[in-house]
Order: sequence, then structure tokens, then C-alpha cells
Amino acid sequence: MRALGIINFEDDTANIEGLGEFRPVPAIAFLGRYRVIDFILSNMTNSGISNVHVYCKEKPRNLFDHLGDGTLYNINSKRGKLRILFGEKSFSSPVYNHDIANFILNMQYIEEDPNPYVIVAPSYFVYSLDFNPVMKAHIDSKADVTVLYKATTEAKSRFLGCDVLMLDKEKKVTEFAKNRGNYKSRNVSLEAYVMTKKLFIELVEKAAKTSSLYWFKDILAESVGTLDIRGYGVKGYVSCLNSLPEYYRTSMELRDRDESVSLVKPEWPIYTHTNDSCPTRYTETADVTDSLIANGCVIEGKVEGSVISRNVTIRKGAEVKDSIILPGAYIGEKAKLDHVIVDKYAIVHHVKKLEGTDEDPVYVKRRDRI
Amino acid sequence: MRANSMVAMILAGGRGTRLFELTKKVAKPAVHFGGKYRIIDFPLSNCANSSISTVGVLTQYESVLLNSYVAKDHNWGLDTNDGGVFVLTPRERDQANFQVYLGTADAITQNIDFLDSVDPEYVLILSGDHIYKMNYDKMLTYHKEKKADATIAVLEVPLKEASRFGIMNCDAEDVIVEFEEKPKKPKSNLASMGIYIFSYQTLRKYLLQDLKNEKSNHDFGKDIIPAYLNDKKKLVAYRFKGYWKDVGTIDSLWEANMDLLNANSELDLGDATWKIYTEDVNSLPQYIGADAHVENSYVTQGSVVLGDVKNSVLGTNCTVEERAKVIDSVIMPGATVGEGAKVTRCIIADDVVVPAGAVLGSADSENILLVAKESE
Repeated sequence: MRALGIINFEDDTANIEGLGEFRPVPAIAFLGRYRVIDFILSNMTNSGISNVHVYCKEKPRNLFDHLGDGTLYNINSKRGKLRILFGEKSFSSPVYNHDIANFILNMQYIEEDPNPYVIVAPSYFVYSLDFNPVMKAHIDSKADVTVLYKATTEAKSRFLGCDVLMLDKEKKVTEFAKNRGNYKSRNVSLEAYVMTKKLFIELVEKAAKTSSLYWFKDILAESVGTLDIRGYGVKGYVSCLNSLPEYYRTSMELRDRDESVSLVKPEWPIYTHTNDSCPTRYTETADVTDSLIANGCVIEGKVEGSVISRNVTIRKGAEVKDSIILPGAYIGEKAKLDHVIVDKYAIVHHVKKLEGTDEDPVYVKRRDRI
Repeated sequence: MRANSMVAMILAGGRGTRLFELTKKVAKPAVHFGGKYRIIDFPLSNCANSSISTVGVLTQYESVLLNSYVAKDHNWGLDTNDGGVFVLTPRERDQANFQVYLGTADAITQNIDFLDSVDPEYVLILSGDHIYKMNYDKMLTYHKEKKADATIAVLEVPLKEASRFGIMNCDAEDVIVEFEEKPKKPKSNLASMGIYIFSYQTLRKYLLQDLKNEKSNHDFGKDIIPAYLNDKKKLVAYRFKGYWKDVGTIDSLWEANMDLLNANSELDLGDATWKIYTEDVNSLPQYIGADAHVENSYVTQGSVVLGDVKNSVLGTNCTVEERAKVIDSVIMPGATVGEGAKVTRCIIADDVVVPAGAVLGSADSENILLVAKESE
């Protein structure tokens, strides 16, 4: 495919409380063995996109560690290129550290890319999609910009704060609005855009000139009257990880095998950085039901309706229910967790029950000891 | 010291006939073990962890899968600039008749040109079909300290089992004075593990001599070691302590898998300082269903358990359907145990589908039942 993939970072409306403090959203551990960015990046490489830019707002170390040079994501190390790019200057205020500023600072790498098209998408939307039909639809429609959207009937409780598209009969975008949760049915923008590289550069430069606070989505919203922007509906599972409850809900939904196999298929693998962990050992006292479990764990206790990442230890007598345990965490004897998200390498010895809810799961900090 | 001062040569040509259908289409080193591994992952990972950068893998029997598998040397971190995994199969050569590898020593002799091109000081000879973790660098240090011509790794085995092995009779300094292949009346319990370090130039001379000897079996144990002893070369035993298993039969392959269930086993694959590396797969994490029960078992990525699993090892992308029971068994990658089926004391070979309701194996069987696809 003759497109440069640009993985953008999310704006400040996305805030995964706790987890997001330690690493950018794309680097958050997800679904046992993945990081959030694995989904969009695999979608791109599976679609035949071999040049990818990953823009990073801050804390790039996690992404460098995880993504490496992209060979794990099936990017040909000679013909393709994965670049992790970030603003190599200090911004006088965090509000100036937005996508437009980062694109401007790295413009030479965008300009020198030989592909005539760009596909711009953030990583915090989780879905499985082949971009080839999208590109074909974009070219056939002769539109200036194609925007991916998901038609949802759950907009009152999901995708809150996301952009929504107002579409006419030709699927032309007449307005970008915000989902404030007032309507049931909405066309939620996945903030994924297809256009020529030339137009992309023009819009970035225009945005920079218009306002030093503009994000790419702002200049696009402003261009509705002058550009032909079309919607492209995405079928299948879509979720937006823009808050801790949404991260929790998405993990719990994808714990269901029927849902997760629609995202991760043998012919559409989701790549990730592997850790060479050994298989998971269940002891004689293990009691595990309805759970997704990564490798490298030792499970002696009770686990129900949970997502357990690699190298987690769950001791005898521990009870883990409807919870998410991130890599390397230790759940001690008699610990009782219900609706809890335990961050990496945390140690839970606490005997008193930790209990959250679907809307308000309890969060245990990285490397915390309780 | 140059990174290539010791080259490893892994003998991986054997069929392993006592593994029956498991080795019908693949060589024994490629047989699956421990859910996600293949047997050859062990020597390859040991090499990588021992800082050996050049590894030759000598293949012969049904080698297509094995050759392409080991050629992906990045899986073991062996894709360094000055090293790599070199697949060495018998080949046509100038001024020599084409010949399969006639024995373990002949496999090396036929690749003297390869060894000469690497020009190592030492050659480590390994077998591609043993399960163990070992630091070959420590063995090399010992070889140098002892100023030996050859060092042979040995394992202390119970004396009553010693007649199954090649036995080293040593003096008080662990210098080998006699080698006996499967002796009826063993004089010692030091069994050869088939792991040798040779100083290369000396070995090279002996290999070329052996090539000319028409009576020779061209085998390390039967010919090369006795020739060294005959010439009073210094051979020393290197005592290895730890887990080591030759998984040559269905029963021993099953037993070695069962050893992984024991938390106190010397074979700890969870040790982060000495990982065993293998091919990456891209499947989802394992899923344990709402009505499933998994007890005392070793389960890996991509498996789906909806039934009961007890005292068993499940490989990559296995499925245990609802109400199925898997007890005391090894399920190899990609296999499915159908709804309501019961599998006891079995090895289910890769990609086999056990039909719904089938009953295979029994709790009081003397031997483990191998369930493989019908031979084509």
C-alpha cells in the first residue's frame, strides 16, 4: 500500500487515571500480553504499510523498549521503517505539546517519505481493520479526506468525549461534534484519516499558522466547508480506551473468547514484543474460571472473570474476581480483590478486601506494596 | 578472547525411531516439549546463554522443518554479526563421493571445511535431543584448567541403571582411564551425556585418521574417544549436576513433561536468568472457560480450556472442549480434545483431533498411549 502510516497520540480528553501516569496510553499493558499500540500498528503492517511513524508526546522510553525497530511487527528491516518521533525540544507549556507541533518538528521525515498517501490514526481506539478497502473507497470517492467512524447505539455510556460525525446521505461530513452522552446513536470518529500526503502537510502548516493551540482534529473540523470529507463506517468491535473505566470495560469484554477472536485471527495477527516466558503453571489448589491468562504465571489461588498478564503470581488462598492484573504483580495469600486493576510489579499482601465497581475499579499503583 | 573461540556443533540428524509417529515427518530434535518448546530449543538456548555465537546444526533425517526452524537464529538471539546458526546437511563435494552422515564423528568430518573457515580453538559437540540447562562456558573453563585434549560431560546415574549408558571410568582426578559403551557390569556410575569439548586442531587430526579407517563406525563414543584413550591423550570428565533427560521414548518424553508440574523439579523453565527461547507465536493468551477446571497443569498461550485438565501439559493453540477430561496427559500444539472426550495417560500428537466422546488411554495402563494421525 502506498501510504505512510502515522500513529498519532491522543489529546488530553483521554485520561486513563493511574495507569496513564506511568507511561503514555499506547504503552499501557493490555489484554494479558499486549500493549495498546499493538492493535493499530498491526492493522497497519498487516495492511501492507511498511513505513510507520509513531508520534509520542512524552516518556518515549516505554515505546522504544516495546516497539524496537519494528521487525517484531513484521516490518521488513530493509524495505520498511518504523520511526518513533517526539518533540525534541522543551515546550514552554504542556498545552503547546500537541500533534501539530510534533508534526512540524519532524516535518522533514514526513516530506522525505516516498508514499503519496498518509493514514493517520491514534492508538487508543481498539479494532481490527484492513486499510486496503478503506484506501480503495477513498480513491474511488475522490474525497479529500476519509474519516473512519463507528456507528454505535451506546453513545450515552461509551465513547464519551469522542468526536462524532454528522453525515449527509453521501456520507459527507457536515460537522464534527462531541459526544456528550446525550444521544443513544452516534457516528463516533476513530480519529483515523486517509488523505494525500500533500494535503496532510498543507493542513498541518495551516493549523500551525491559525493557532498555536490547534490539534490536527481542530483544523479538520474547521475545514468541513472547504474540503470534501467523507465517513467510512467500520464494522465489528471498536472500543476507545479514553478512561480507566473504559480500559476496564474493554478488557472485560475482550476476555470473552468470541469477542477477542474477532480481533486476533490467524490471518490477522496482532503482533507484540514477547518476553520468552515459560507456560503458566496451575497448582493443585488453583481454581480458575472464565479468565484470560498470559504465560509465565504461577497460579495457586482462585481467579474468576479476570485478565492476568504474564509473570503474575497468585498465591494459595488469594481470590481475584473481575480484576485485571498487570505483568509481574504478586497477589499474596488471603488477598481478596474484586474489580481491581493491579499495575505492574505491585505486591498485594493486604488481607482486607479491595473492592471496586464497573464504573469505578480500584487502582493499585505500579510497584506499590499494600 | 574472540567470540568464536568455541564453536558448537549440534548433532540433530537422528530420527528417534522409538518415538514412532511423532518422528515420522520430523526429526527428533523438532519434537514438541513442555507446551511451547521444541527439544532443540534447549541446546540452542544453552548456547546463546553461554555466550556461544556460532552454532552449526547437523541435520539429516526429515530435515525440512528442522532446517527452516533453526535457521531463524534471531529466535535464540544468535543472529549476531560474528556468528549465527549454520544448517549443515550432507552435500555433494568436490573430490568426494556424496554420502549421508555415517556416524556422529563423520557428520563433523564432513564439515571440517566449515570449521576451518570459522577457525575455532575449541569445538563443543552437542546432541539435539536432550532436555537440560547447562552453562557450556563453565565447562570450557574447566577444560582449559585441566589442560585436557577433550572434556566429556558426565552425569552420576544410579549404578543399577548405568548399563544403559556410555560409562566413564575415572581416576581420582576425574581423568578418564576407560570408556565402556553400555557395560553389562558397570565399574562406575558416571554416564556420558554426549557433550564433548575438543581442542579443535587435535580433533581435526583424529577425524581425518578416522575417515581413512574402513572398520570405523565414525562415531564419537565408539571410535574417536577410544582412539584418544589409546594414544594416552588427556580426557577428563566434567561432572554435571542438575536436570538432564534423554527423551528417546514415548514414556520418557511423557515423564519429562510431567517433571514440569513439580514445583521442586530441577528443571525450572521460569528462571529468568537462564531462559529457554523458542519460536514466537501470535495467538491470544490462554482462556480458561466458565465451567473449566485446571489443576496441577502447565498450559501455554493460545490454548482454550472449557473442560477439565488435571496433571497435564497443554501445548500452543490446543483446545479442550466442554465436559472433556484430560488427565495425566501431554497435548501437543494445535490438538483438540472434543466435547465429552476423556484422555488419560496419553500423548496427543500435534494437530490431532480427538473426536467428541472418545475415551483414550487408562489410569492403570503400563505405558503411555501415543495418539497420532494415521500414517499416510
